[in-house]
Amino acid sequence: MTSSNFRSWPLFLVLAVISMPLVIMYVYLFVDTVTDTTAGSLIPDRFTLHHWRFLWEEPETGRVSIWTVTLNTFIFATCTTLINVSASVTAGYALSRLNMPFKRFFLGGILTLHAFPTITLIISIFLILQMIGLYNTLIGVILVKAALELPLGIWIMKGFFDNVPWEIEMAGLQDGASRFTVWWKLVLPQVQPGVAALSVFVFLSAWSEFILPQVLAPSGSAQVLSTYLSNLIFDDMKPDFNMFKSVGVFYALPVIVIYLIFNKQLMNIYGGGTKG
Amino acid sequence: MTTLVSKLRQSTAAAVLAVTAASFAGDAFAKDLTITVWAGGTNDSDVYRLDAIEMAADMLEREYEILGEELNITVEKKRDFADWAAFKQAVTLAAEAGDAPNIVVTSHLDIAPWSQAGLIVPVEDYVDMDAWPLNNLYDNLVEITSYNDVVYGLPQDAESRPFFFWKDTMKQLGYSDAEIEALPAKVESGEYTLANVLEDAKKAVEMELVEEGYGFYPRVSNGPDYAQFYQSFGGELLDKDTGKLLLDKQAMTDFYQFFVDAVEAKVTRKNHIGTEWDQWYAEVASGKAATWHGGTWHYARYTGKEGLDDFFGNIQFTLIPAGNENGRANTITHPLAYLLTAQDDEDDVEIAAQLIKIASEPRINTLHAIKSAHLGIAREQSNIELYANDRWAAEATERLLGQANAQPNHTGYGQFSQIMFKGLETAWTGTRTPAEAVAEVEAEMKATLGDEVIIR
Amino acid sequence: MRRAHLLGLGFLSPALAIILMLFLIPVLLTVMFSFTNMSTATGISGGAYEINAASLRKLADAGAQESFVETLGKESFVVDDAGITAAAAAYGEQFANEVGSQMLGERFSSRRDLERAFRKLKSRPRSTRDIKKAADLFKRSVLNIRFETAGGLVDAVTDNGIEMTPDQQELLTKTIYTGWTWTSDNFALMAQIPYVWRVAGNTVLYVVLTLAASVGMGLFLAITTFYLPSSAASSFRAIWFLPRILPNVIFVLMWKWLAWDTGFLSSLLANFGVPPRNWMLDTGVNAWVFIVLINGIVGASLGMILFGSAIKSIPQSMLHASEVDGASRWQQIRYIILPQLRWPIMFICAYSTLSLLTSFEYILLSTDGGPGGATEVWSLMAFHTALDNYAGNLQYGLGAAMALMLVIVGILASLVYLRIFNFNDLVAKPRIEQ
Repeated sequence: MTSSNFRSWPLFLVLAVISMPLVIMYVYLFVDTVTDTTAGSLIPDRFTLHHWRFLWEEPETGRVSIWTVTLNTFIFATCTTLINVSASVTAGYALSRLNMPFKRFFLGGILTLHAFPTITLIISIFLILQMIGLYNTLIGVILVKAALELPLGIWIMKGFFDNVPWEIEMAGLQDGASRFTVWWKLVLPQVQPGVAALSVFVFLSAWSEFILPQVLAPSGSAQVLSTYLSNLIFDDMKPDFNMFKSVGVFYALPVIVIYLIFNKQLMNIYGGGTKG
Repeated sequence: MTTLVSKLRQSTAAAVLAVTAASFAGDAFAKDLTITVWAGGTNDSDVYRLDAIEMAADMLEREYEILGEELNITVEKKRDFADWAAFKQAVTLAAEAGDAPNIVVTSHLDIAPWSQAGLIVPVEDYVDMDAWPLNNLYDNLVEITSYNDVVYGLPQDAESRPFFFWKDTMKQLGYSDAEIEALPAKVESGEYTLANVLEDAKKAVEMELVEEGYGFYPRVSNGPDYAQFYQSFGGELLDKDTGKLLLDKQAMTDFYQFFVDAVEAKVTRKNHIGTEWDQWYAEVASGKAATWHGGTWHYARYTGKEGLDDFFGNIQFTLIPAGNENGRANTITHPLAYLLTAQDDEDDVEIAAQLIKIASEPRINTLHAIKSAHLGIAREQSNIELYANDRWAAEATERLLGQANAQPNHTGYGQFSQIMFKGLETAWTGTRTPAEAVAEVEAEMKATLGDEVIIR
Repeated sequence: MRRAHLLGLGFLSPALAIILMLFLIPVLLTVMFSFTNMSTATGISGGAYEINAASLRKLADAGAQESFVETLGKESFVVDDAGITAAAAAYGEQFANEVGSQMLGERFSSRRDLERAFRKLKSRPRSTRDIKKAADLFKRSVLNIRFETAGGLVDAVTDNGIEMTPDQQELLTKTIYTGWTWTSDNFALMAQIPYVWRVAGNTVLYVVLTLAASVGMGLFLAITTFYLPSSAASSFRAIWFLPRILPNVIFVLMWKWLAWDTGFLSSLLANFGVPPRNWMLDTGVNAWVFIVLINGIVGASLGMILFGSAIKSIPQSMLHASEVDGASRWQQIRYIILPQLRWPIMFICAYSTLSLLTSFEYILLSTDGGPGGATEVWSLMAFHTALDNYAGNLQYGLGAAMALMLVIVGILASLVYLRIFNFNDLVAKPRIEQ
């Protein structure tokens, strides 16, 4: 809101100043990937594509190609989203609209789980994956990640279903359609924005996930970008900080693209969705 | 119609038979298998830990071919772990899940817990320790890779952890060339102690030869190195009679006090732990620090990536000096070992065993030793030119390895060393005084190790 | 059960199955683990029985007679008739005869010696592995053999002619078991270790500071961007929203670059004569500043958006009216905006307290609890203890006990929150009854 009573430039100035550190970090994150800087100086002085060589060079002994890892990350994020959204949409509808025993209990339970120290359960989760033979596989990590985001997903979808007018369903039922058909044909289209928002949210969350793949799928064939990048950083003999940043930018690009496209949906889910 | 059907049936059966027979015949001659190798803490210069297995596979395939069998081994190599912690976590969990890599390259300290848990199997059950090249391994190294008198692993490399002096700085402090040359002997005899280190480091800072915090520039993270300082002040890690771990409170306090003194004298930074390794290497290899300690393998980094052309002209190396009259000059060797994990198929374990046996060939191991500046594992390596002509390998072996001891293979040692380092960190950063830190260490060791530790 | 009920449960079942498998069972297992001494050395899936140097030492400590321990600990290989018969069956008469004629009655104190003797024979098996297996046929002790069951061990011991009283037998099987056992020591242990108390203190500090930072920054951002022209506002919102969606590995990488010894801050301050240092790990206080900033900014992103949308829902007329009355900007915030934000603030506090208690990725990646454990928080300690430490000594039992404390806090807190946020309003009755 702008107003005649106050000038907005002092505010602008204050915000600009406190945003400086973040802006500097963003700018250097990008600039450093294509430049070299003389040690001790702050201003880059030469252009180079050397830091991006990981894209075309053969990986070294005992390392995995970035492209395999990127593919893994895509599969991981996409499948997690699919599983999570499908289960959230059905469960959200059930809790919003359908009659069932123990409904209060389910709802309370899901709210409780939402605030649960999931990551601390990881040893037990490991054991379960081991028992069903999914340890060290991408499928295992996908299932776990989808599960961990499930309480939030259900909660959000329930919120969206709550806002669909009852009249739509009643009209459908009067025309003789089954409850399932009504849900599929009439109600689902109404919550499309919710599905989109949740999908983006879960996709981003899975794209960033670090601990789960690190612990539950350590072998090279299931590595994802987060573990790839952190393994690179920790390797004490490789000082190429600019290359870390290049990998980082490569890793962050999809996130930024998604942000630019789905800006509205994201604000929607972060702003309204979590409102319990 | 019926005849047609029965004919069809017959011919199908015949075809099936033929196919089965063919595949069986193929089975008898060709064996394809994948051997997975994981190596922890492995940098670019250490890739022969993995490549040696591939070379061994090639050799083994040829041996089988001569015997008329076709063996195709695919070696899957992995070393991109974030750090030792992530590597050990991955191996342990994978092994628990029955999905362990066939061969792991890791610290000998893992033998005790992993053998108790049944995650690894004794290598001596699969290879002839009396035959080449295993009969050529140094006996003390094989002892380090044994537990309960059973040989569990084959030593993969040897090293030790010396103390370094920057010669130029020492000269400016008033040491003559001859005195610097005599330093290793003086350290070994206990004439030059950590107290002298502190003194010289302090002088170097006061004379502005080095910046504040660069008089003594220790390792930046947890590691076996710190147990050396405990030994310098008279601490022993294991009680030989009972086979139990040993906490010597006096030695531990003195050891913590040394680092606190170093911080107070401004020769070591309070926030030193957690410094980036890259920065650390660059600084010590360019003379920014007066004294520091590291590992024999640092030679590769100093002379390679850091571009220190004249190592011997610039750096003097010795044992870790004694701390006081209770202790001794010492160094710890911390060999890595090839270990075999338990697998469902015994034949896979046997092939893996043969691979690590061949990889222990002096010639193959020399590639790793020289490339990564580690020390050799077998006596014959000194007759291999590549090894014998390397000044560093020769001098370091002579000056350090004789006095080197290893950390004990004990199921509780991991906790012991971790608690010890945590205590050091709290004292060093000033969170606690050395006495308080040792009291915390004692409480925690008592609680977690119980009977397995003797407190003195 | 009515058809509608079935329909509801049917819709819920995929979610229920996932939740059961990956939430409820893990919680039960965590409770179970926390009452065990499970660690790397004991293994998860169960143990075995093995007599070896280490377990004999434990046996002696547990009070077994010296002579008993000594008999058990004696390794012996005896070339006897039973062994020769077995060798004949496995490796042929010729080999057995040669062994019988040349070595009958000999004793060896290690397998290696026997292998050496075998290798002198002409008709010996021609593979290393077979020679070892042949030698094992003559083993007449139980040293260094892994038995899956206690019964197997006891049988083997008696087969080798070692007499045991029932008491000795019980003591033996109990002490040399390599697997985990039930115990309630973990909780006592936590109370005894001074470090754990320090970490508990850190955790409280972490939650309070980070919460204050993220709510404070979130409020500030929401209110200031509200008063800015929309183009400027959305740029600032983008700058402050990115940290929330950027992968944490990258976000931390940016901070590390800022704080590195050779990084931005050091290079910048070098111009003013400040010596370079790792600003993040310089002192405990520095580390805390960075931890709070990193986590606080991520939290502020959420706060900014949540508070922003709450501010937007304030009727414009109220604000305009106050302006006509000549209210200063501060008065507008104080009397109109802030009261509207009471619920969102409470929600953020509640939600963030729990997520801060349990999330440790940013700390793990930035300071890893350092320097000197100054920034180690409870969930990170549980992770370090159970899964991630330099010594590779994974204490699943103790780690699970630590996690269980968080689980309990989490459940209690959510129950309280459910009351505060008026749970009943959320459970509306369905209007279609079929």
